[in-house]
This record gives sequence, C-alpha cells and structure tokens, in this order.
Amino acid sequence: MNHMIVLVGLNHKTAPLAVREKLFAGCREQENFLADLLGIDGVREILYLFTCNRVELLASIDETPETMKMLRSFLARFGGLTAEEEASCLYVYHDDAAIKHLFRVTSSLDSMVMGEAQILGQVKEAYRKALAQNATGIALNRLMHRAFRTAKRVRTETAIAANPVSVSFAAVELAKKIFGTLDGKKTLVIGAGEMAELTCTHLVGNGAEDVTVANRSQAQAEMLAEKYRGKAVSLTSLDAELCEADIVISSTGAPSYVVTGDMVRRCLRKRKNRLLFLIDIAVPRDIDPAVDGIENVYLYNIDHLQDIVDENMKNRRREGLKAEQIVGEEVAQYVSWLKELEAVPTIVSLRSKAETIVRTELEKASGWMDQMENGNREKVEALVNGIVNKILHAPVTVMKEESADFDSQSIVAAARQLFRLDD
Amino acid sequence: MTSVEMKFFVVALVSCSLATAGYLLSLVVKKVRLAKISTWILAAGFIGLTLNLFWGGIHSEGWSSFGSRYFLSIYAWVIACIYLGLQFRTKTRTLGAFIAPCILMFLIAAAGQETDKNLVPPQWQGWLTSLHLALAIAGEGLFVLASAAGAMFLIQNRLLKHKKPGPLGRLLPSLGDLDRINHLGLLWGFPLLTVGIIGGVIYAVFVWGGQWLADPKVLWSLAIWMVNGFLLHQRLAIGWKGSRMAALSFAGLIVFLCSALLIRFCLATVHDFI
Repeated sequence: MNHMIVLVGLNHKTAPLAVREKLFAGCREQENFLADLLGIDGVREILYLFTCNRVELLASIDETPETMKMLRSFLARFGGLTAEEEASCLYVYHDDAAIKHLFRVTSSLDSMVMGEAQILGQVKEAYRKALAQNATGIALNRLMHRAFRTAKRVRTETAIAANPVSVSFAAVELAKKIFGTLDGKKTLVIGAGEMAELTCTHLVGNGAEDVTVANRSQAQAEMLAEKYRGKAVSLTSLDAELCEADIVISSTGAPSYVVTGDMVRRCLRKRKNRLLFLIDIAVPRDIDPAVDGIENVYLYNIDHLQDIVDENMKNRRREGLKAEQIVGEEVAQYVSWLKELEAVPTIVSLRSKAETIVRTELEKASGWMDQMENGNREKVEALVNGIVNKILHAPVTVMKEESADFDSQSIVAAARQLFRLDD
Repeated sequence: MTSVEMKFFVVALVSCSLATAGYLLSLVVKKVRLAKISTWILAAGFIGLTLNLFWGGIHSEGWSSFGSRYFLSIYAWVIACIYLGLQFRTKTRTLGAFIAPCILMFLIAAAGQETDKNLVPPQWQGWLTSLHLALAIAGEGLFVLASAAGAMFLIQNRLLKHKKPGPLGRLLPSLGDLDRINHLGLLWGFPLLTVGIIGGVIYAVFVWGGQWLADPKVLWSLAIWMVNGFLLHQRLAIGWKGSRMAALSFAGLIVFLCSALLIRFCLATVHDFI
C-alpha cells in the first residue's frame, strides 16, 4: 500500500487563543502521546509539535482516508474541541502541501513574527523527542533533515532575521551602533514603566551594567533597581546622574520635559563629550527634542523607534518572498526523492528475482559446465550476468526517471505485473 | 626590479584592486560578507607586498637602490598593516572601503615609478635617514587611518542623527569603534611622526645647515605635525570626541593630500624621491 505524508493541526491564524490553549493543555497532559499516535491504524511514522502558537502532527501514513480521519479526530478528542471548532480551526495538508507547510514553519515564514528564531529550536526539540521514542523512520527522518536544511538556507541566504522588529530590540541595536559594545555601559532608567523595564532588560542582557533607576516613587525605583542590582535615586539628582550615564531610558507620566536641553548641555564638560544615547518612550515626551541638536547626543523617541521597526518589518516581508522561493526549491527536491523511493522496493525485487533465476539456471547447467576447461565456466557466468543486467537496465532506469518526475504508481504496478513480482 | 619581485608586486596590486572593488561593492549592495572576503583578499595583497619589499631589501645595495616606488610601497604597506592589525580587535571591516582605495592609490603611484630614478642620493644615506623616513611614513599612515575612520564616523553620525540607520548604517562600524580608531591613529601617529621629524631635523642641521627650513615638504610635514598635535591635545586634555574630532581630522587629510600633490608636482623639494 502506498504511503503519504500528512500534517494535521491548528495555529494562531486558524484558531483563537482559547482553542489553542485547550488543545495544548489536552495534548500535553497525555503521557504516552506518541505511543498512542503510533497505535492508530495506518500510522507508520509520526511526530508532534506544540508551541504557544501551534499544535501540529506530522506523520507518514498508509494512504487511506480512514487513517487521516482518525488522526484528525484524535487531535480533536484530546483537545476537547467541539465539532464546530474542529471544522473551522483544524487544517489537514498532505504530500506536497504538508511538506511545504513544514518547511515554512521551520523557516519561520508561518510564525506570528516572521523570522523569529525560536521556532527552529522548537521543531528540533519535537524531532528529538520522536527520535528518542523511535517514532520516526526513513521518510520523516529525511523530511526533517531537509526541513532544517531549508531553515538554514533561509537564514543564511536571506536577511529575514537580520533586523529587530520590536521597539526594545530596535533600541538595543541602536545602542550597539552607537557604542559598539554595551559592556560596562552605564544605564539610567527614568520612571519605572513596563516598556522602560523591558528595554533595560534587553540592554543588560547585551552587556550594559551599572543600572540607576530614578523615579518619583522611591519604593518603585528601589524595586526595579534591585532587579538589576543597581541603585535607586530620586528625580532631583537627575543632573548628576546624567553626567555619568551612557544610555538613558525615560518613560515617566510627567506632563512636561523631565530632561531638558540645558540639563544635557550643563553636563557635557563633566562627561568629556562621551557619546550619550537617550531613549524616550514616554507619551507625552519626557526629553526635550532640542537635546538631539547637541553634538554626540542621540535622542530617539517612540515614533523614531516604531519607524525603524516598521521599516525592518517591511524588509522582512520582502526577504520572505526570497525565502518562499528557497522553500519551493527544497520541496521540489524532497518530493522528487520521495517519489523515487516508491520505485525502490520494486527495483530491488526485480533484481533479486533475476539473480535467483540466473543462480538456478547455472546450477541446472552445472553438470555439463563442470566439463569445461578452466576459466571458461567463469566466462559463461559473466556472459549470463551481463545479458541479464543489460535486459534489466532499461526498465530500472525508466522506473527511476518516471518516479522522480511523475506519479510512478502505474509504471511500478506494470513492472510488478510483467515480471510477476507479487507471485 | 627582478622578475620575482615584480610577481609579488603584481600580486599585491591585483589583490588590492580586487579588495577595493569588493569593499566599495559591499557598501553598494550592503553585504558585510563581501567586506569580509575583501579583507582576506587585502591580506593576500599585503603578504605579496611584504614579500616584494623583503625581496627588494635583500637584493638591494642599501638605500641607494630604494627609489620612490619603494617609498610609495612602504606607505601602502604601513597603512595595510595597521588596518589589518585592527581587524583582530574591532569589527570594522567596512572601514576598508576608505582604506583600500588609499592603499591602491599608493600602489598605483608606485607602479608608475622607476626603481632606479629619484634615489636618496648616496651622500644622504645612513641610519638616521632611514629612521626619519620609516617613522614619518608610519606616522602619516596612522593619520590617514584616523582620518578614514573620521570620514566614516561622519556618515554614520549623519544616519543616526537623521533617525535613518537603514542598511548602510548597519553595515558601517559603530560610532564608538570609529572614534576609538581615530583616537589610536592620533595617539600612535603623533609620537612616531615627532621622532621621525626630529631625526630628519638633526640630520638636516648637520648636512644642510639652515637651507632645509625653506623646503616645502618640511613645512608641509611640520604643518601636519602641528595640526595633529593640536587634535591630540584637544582629545586628551580638553576631551574633544566624536563628530568634531572626526570632521577636523578628515578635513585635515583632504587639505594635506591636496597640498602633498601640489608640492610633489609643482614645487621643487629636496624630498623629491617621495
């Protein structure tokens, strides 16, 4: 019986969060999830992928509608999906479409944020689990390696993951463009807003240290400072802190400017003209735009950062088109290999049958062949083998070629019938 | 020039041309990988030039056979050496887009010079002349590097100030790295040029008496020394950094390159071998 690659699942595009949660929780609770899946009639190889945005099963199955239906209902049953949810949220891809979907997922083309790096690790982890339980075989092993290869090609041949697409990462990238390395850079956080905290976390993660938090509420400042092992100061000591800082992140709710042009100018001499990067995430703005006119001072507000993010997003989408081409190439190569695979058992049977016939006939003739002169027996055997190989060469080549380019089922069936391989 | 020497020189010239094209192309297509490949090509050219100079050195009869081709080659060698050395410490490969054309310019000029013409006259040869020339060339090479970093700083600064870092901004080195290179160029270039000039002055006082002061090349070198000394003072003592230093050192380079060409081709100088 022929087999096929099938992919069943749902993701952030087809299912709302509530449904994804339900399915995720239902499937995760199953201890022998892979074993249960392998127990489904017709499933040859299988792996499952659970992330916060998708739940998918990838399997190599016997080509029967029942097996596909059972996989689908298996997922719906464990996720506790209603018939309506099952119909609207679950998708089923098979063969070329399933392979393409897998390659797109692994290359992060199907992710919520295109080009994000985590998905490749998650797919690898899913494969590792399946491998550990011997749930995969030749078809899925080859498919998964091809998927990882595709993801690698997409990463290296396109700039899909090159530029940050979140405001806080964009700020970190800018800081790196200004200072080179963030190691040892002093960070001043004004206000204790969530966005400032997130940006500060990324900066610290990239090497910035010595965090000072200035806030109207001392308690909140201390709480945030403690998180980064920094110090908390009051807003009144902002002048002194500005002289020390390399990076300033501001996100207070103040109605007027917290950092003015004069304040920055006053500390220039003390700073010895060191570069200063100011990030103003507050609305209304905390930092006087006049600051940007000062030499060696770089001010970015939320709009500037958002513009950079938008531009990067646009670039990612452009790079996504190149990535789709790579995925297309890889799918075509894999499908061609897979089709070739269909003809392999028949070719092996054909060769084995021919070898058996040659061996039997030579044994039958051994009586009169034993009387032949030394060396002549080997010559006759070589001649017989040569003739058989020549006869088999054409059908084997045709089967390989046809299976690579077209559907090989009819030609393989014809070969099996003509040579009586199933008897 | 022997045929082996010539082969090494051709390797250096071709490699440097390819590296220059690669660096400039990397800026156009905005791919840092091209700049990385160009750095390796430049390194190959540097090895070729080193072998060329080494071969010339062991087969020459001292400074008398060292004509302008060698001096121009040494200029190129010093700049390439400093730039490639920097690559071990900073990720500033695209700086090559400014440095490689300078190196290529010196090599092309060197290719156009005859080895046995414009020699250091035999009566001027000696260790003091060698010291004077080597240190002055190294010092000026470092100033070229500082100025190239300054030029790149100005471009990056403009992109960041206009809130459009874009692909070019991502390709160019960071402001901090460029400022550091400018600082190092001045910090090391100034003492080398100082000792080089002092060597030349001591030699000239004993050989020429007072005539040397009126030589245009001497005045030109003194002007370079004073301007760079001023820049270094402002950096170390006053704390000038960033865009102001970058603009001044780049402007300095343009003025001095123009005056160097003027002196070389329009005025009579005792330094006419360079």
